[in-house]
Amino acid sequence: MAARAQLVGEELAGAAGRTTSPRRARGARTTRHLPLAPALIMLFLFFLGPVLWSVYSSFTNAALTGDGAQNPQWVGLENFRRLFSDPNVTNGIWLTVVFVLGSAVIGQNLLGLTIALLMRGRSRWLRGTVGGIVVSAWVLPEVVSALIWYAFLGQHGTLNQIMKAFGMSGQDWLYSSPMLAVIIANVWRGTAFSMLVYNAALDDVPADVQEAAELDGATGWRRLWNVILPLIRPSIVTNLMLITLQTLSVFTLIYVMTAGGPGFASSTLPVLMYQQAFKFSEVGYGTAISLLLLVIGAVFSFIYVRVLKPEA
Amino acid sequence: MLSTGLRIACACAASALALTACSSSSSSGGGSGGKTLKVAYVKFGNEIQVDAHMQKVKAQFEAAHPGVTVKLDPIAAAENDYYTKIDLMMGSGSTAPDVVYEDTFLINSDIKAGYLAPLDSYLASWSDWSQFPDTAKSAARGIDGKTYGVPMGTDTRALYYNKAMLTKAGVAMPWQPKSWQDVLAAAKAVKATSPGVTPLNVYAGKPDGEGSTMQGFEMLLYGTKDTLYDSASKKWTAPSKGFTDSLQFLKDAYSGGLTLPPQTELDPNIPNVVSGQMLPQGKLAIDLDGSWVTGTWGTSGAKPWPQWNTVIGEAAMPTQDGSGKGTISMSGGWTLSVTAKSKNKDLGAQFVELALNKENSASYDIADSQIAVRNDVAADPSYQSTNPTTAFFTGLVPVTQYRPAYAEYPKISDAIQVAMEAVITGQSSPADAMKAYTATLKGIVGSDNVAAGAS
Amino acid sequence: MAGMGIDTPRRRAAGLVCTGILVLIAAAFLAPLVWLVLSCFDSSAQTSVKLPEHPSVDNFRAVMTTDLAWRPLWNGLLLCGGSALITVVVATLAAYPLSRYQSRFRKPFLYTVLFATGLPITAIMVPVYGLFVRLQLIDSMPATAVFLATTSLPFAIWLIKGFIDNVPINLEEASWVDGATPMVALRHIVVPLIAPGMSVVLIFTFIQAWGNFFVPFILLQSPEKLPASVTVFTFFGQYGAVAYGQLAAYSVLYSMPVVVLYLIVSRAMGGAFRFAGAAKG
Repeated sequence: MAARAQLVGEELAGAAGRTTSPRRARGARTTRHLPLAPALIMLFLFFLGPVLWSVYSSFTNAALTGDGAQNPQWVGLENFRRLFSDPNVTNGIWLTVVFVLGSAVIGQNLLGLTIALLMRGRSRWLRGTVGGIVVSAWVLPEVVSALIWYAFLGQHGTLNQIMKAFGMSGQDWLYSSPMLAVIIANVWRGTAFSMLVYNAALDDVPADVQEAAELDGATGWRRLWNVILPLIRPSIVTNLMLITLQTLSVFTLIYVMTAGGPGFASSTLPVLMYQQAFKFSEVGYGTAISLLLLVIGAVFSFIYVRVLKPEA
Repeated sequence: MLSTGLRIACACAASALALTACSSSSSSGGGSGGKTLKVAYVKFGNEIQVDAHMQKVKAQFEAAHPGVTVKLDPIAAAENDYYTKIDLMMGSGSTAPDVVYEDTFLINSDIKAGYLAPLDSYLASWSDWSQFPDTAKSAARGIDGKTYGVPMGTDTRALYYNKAMLTKAGVAMPWQPKSWQDVLAAAKAVKATSPGVTPLNVYAGKPDGEGSTMQGFEMLLYGTKDTLYDSASKKWTAPSKGFTDSLQFLKDAYSGGLTLPPQTELDPNIPNVVSGQMLPQGKLAIDLDGSWVTGTWGTSGAKPWPQWNTVIGEAAMPTQDGSGKGTISMSGGWTLSVTAKSKNKDLGAQFVELALNKENSASYDIADSQIAVRNDVAADPSYQSTNPTTAFFTGLVPVTQYRPAYAEYPKISDAIQVAMEAVITGQSSPADAMKAYTATLKGIVGSDNVAAGAS
Repeated sequence: MAGMGIDTPRRRAAGLVCTGILVLIAAAFLAPLVWLVLSCFDSSAQTSVKLPEHPSVDNFRAVMTTDLAWRPLWNGLLLCGGSALITVVVATLAAYPLSRYQSRFRKPFLYTVLFATGLPITAIMVPVYGLFVRLQLIDSMPATAVFLATTSLPFAIWLIKGFIDNVPINLEEASWVDGATPMVALRHIVVPLIAPGMSVVLIFTFIQAWGNFFVPFILLQSPEKLPASVTVFTFFGQYGAVAYGQLAAYSVLYSMPVVVLYLIVSRAMGGAFRFAGAAKG
């Protein structure tokens, strides 16, 4: 009992000040971090372990079949040398950055925030309906979304039929502007997540601040910029970080809609990775490509943390 | 900061070590129980005949071997994913199937990887093996000279054409073009006389994968004086005039409006659209395609079309200028193999022998519109009479060619698709695409293993 | 709602503009779905939008079989429901100490784990397969669910930590004075307050797993254990062409559980929001 009381007292002191007391008993420190254990076990076993193995295999010629399957050889930086001399990879890096900027940072993030802001103070019915429609795009399985957009943007698709009805001539959007097509599809698919995050964040903004900042002409915009956005800054950083990392690895959507084509016009890094690792069975080279995604993700995250300073 | 990073790194390393330790201790256990035979094959989309065949053989095998259970593992995935899965499965003793369905396109890679067991000792005492002609036997032969699979059947490729449309275009029936020019001329005539109809279909581009390479490109290239690989010098061929000419044929066909627009052709689903819709609906006049297409239209096929034989005719693909044997075809096909890690290799080999005995080979070849590889099946009247095209496609076997299906071939095939796609979309001239292919090829196999074509 | 104070004509006009924009956005989001809804009642559907000539439920009848629909959907529910619950519980437990106590490990841990989520899962499936073989977990649905849960943990921990950060510490302090342990405080004070956030995580995890083809395809073996995300590929290239009508019907069935889950959870979210408002006074 006494030990427990002491523990609680310490928790109180530590948590209230959110600082670590240097003289804390070692046992207590272990105990209070105990809830982390299941997560740590799962992450080390099923996630970091395989990730480290993948990092290792990017320095080998490991393959699913052929020579590299029987006895993979250490090839040093060979995969990375190949990577940087491959114009399709360079192209893939840019396409990936464009895809993330266009569909996540600009598309999902801004649209999600806009919807959340517009919803403030609207009727329950309108909020429910609009929210429900946006969310229904999000809950559809990725392959179904991809197919829907394949049907929407294809040559005989809905968009062209609508355009024809207005006397405009359509085109095969998946062929003529594949990146735009997959970006729009990914905005459609992912906006709901940002909307939900911002809805929750705006709920925490005190009512009087909100009222003062109702979209109300120029002053409203300024208040939005000066008051509301700083208040929800932690949510913005978290959201940007999460949707960026999520969008970096989008594969199915692109693969079903355009298969990375025409040519390499929409071959982002995940598409190239899949091709190398599973079509050509070169696991080592494939993982080397996917490590580039880690770097890109780290760069984005670094920018968010530096520019937006979540914990400032 | 540094020390924290270090500690995390140590923790990761420790967990990795723990995993390795774990693995070495437990790998001996598990595996398929004594008398269960696992058979893995693909069951995806149109590919339903293999499943039907395996179910039938399972029943026969279990009846003949009391106490043995055959566990079928139909893998529902497109080809890349199927290969990923079986390669992973074959890599481990506890998950390896005993019998596996292998594409001759990739079998050399799996032989090299040590996934498959040589079957020579079993085949030596299998009297049926003498019914397989040498070309068929070589389909699954490794570099070590051993045989790793028994072919289930093969396929050949040729031109399908709509008799009424070609007649209307002034082409004499039955049609047999003598050169590429004849094919293009007939397509042009159709374009002039049957508006709204696509005159010619030649698969091209990455979305159709190996189908583009084989049905589209190699059917052209192997009709020139060049090929992909020179088996005498053991070098890959590039650049070559034949390669450039083949690309030029595609350019003429596509830019001349004789084919589907490139954006439609680059739909990964186009082979199904061609056989399931365009040919039956009379929207396509000439189709360069595989012998299996008519299987789609049979009574047990996916898209029954009883009157197809009165509408559609077949012609062999001519060589570029009618030289050589005058016509050309390409062949692939699938084999049944026993895996190296199988604990029931004897039973596995017996299953393969049962699955591909005369009756079962015949019924499978008939159901799946395969070209029989067994001489006794090929001569069987019931095989010859089930499909009116059987005799035609079997007759192409003397002129047919096989792919250089070495371990690097899948990547080279992809490079060919890239070249085709660049040409049909107008991104590159045939000469530039040839240059790009040569560079890619040197990157794949090494400059030492590439030599320019003779012509 | 809270924002509606004094009603001026100017504010009403602004409200109308907001409503107008929202309706436009909703319409844009709805447009691509029209094809799906129309096609599932049209047995001869293609990729173009048209009213079915003979509207029927034939497509549904064709796909609503045990092998094609019911068993895969049930497997998916077990697999994805299981993994979503594991994720939320484990992530909440982990997020609490990460939010409440300082530690030198915290930031590096969070960032390491988070960056790793940028890797496509397909990239690590080969080592994961090897691991599953060694642990003899291949073809095990619980193990596959735990793996799926692990892949969404980093994301979930980050989100939930953010939600817990926003819960004022003084509420817990009060309970500690009453003698409650941190775990009790977590369960009785923090969890009710972050319930909306937890439900976002729950449905997010579920959706991620529900649409995942590659992980169950690689880790499971028996056809009778495969979830709907694998069987949906049956409709590609069958019957000579993609059976668009059946595929659309199947997609609708396939999406239903997620929509239903969202409806259930969003009701809980609403309730939790009200509770949160009351607690904050």
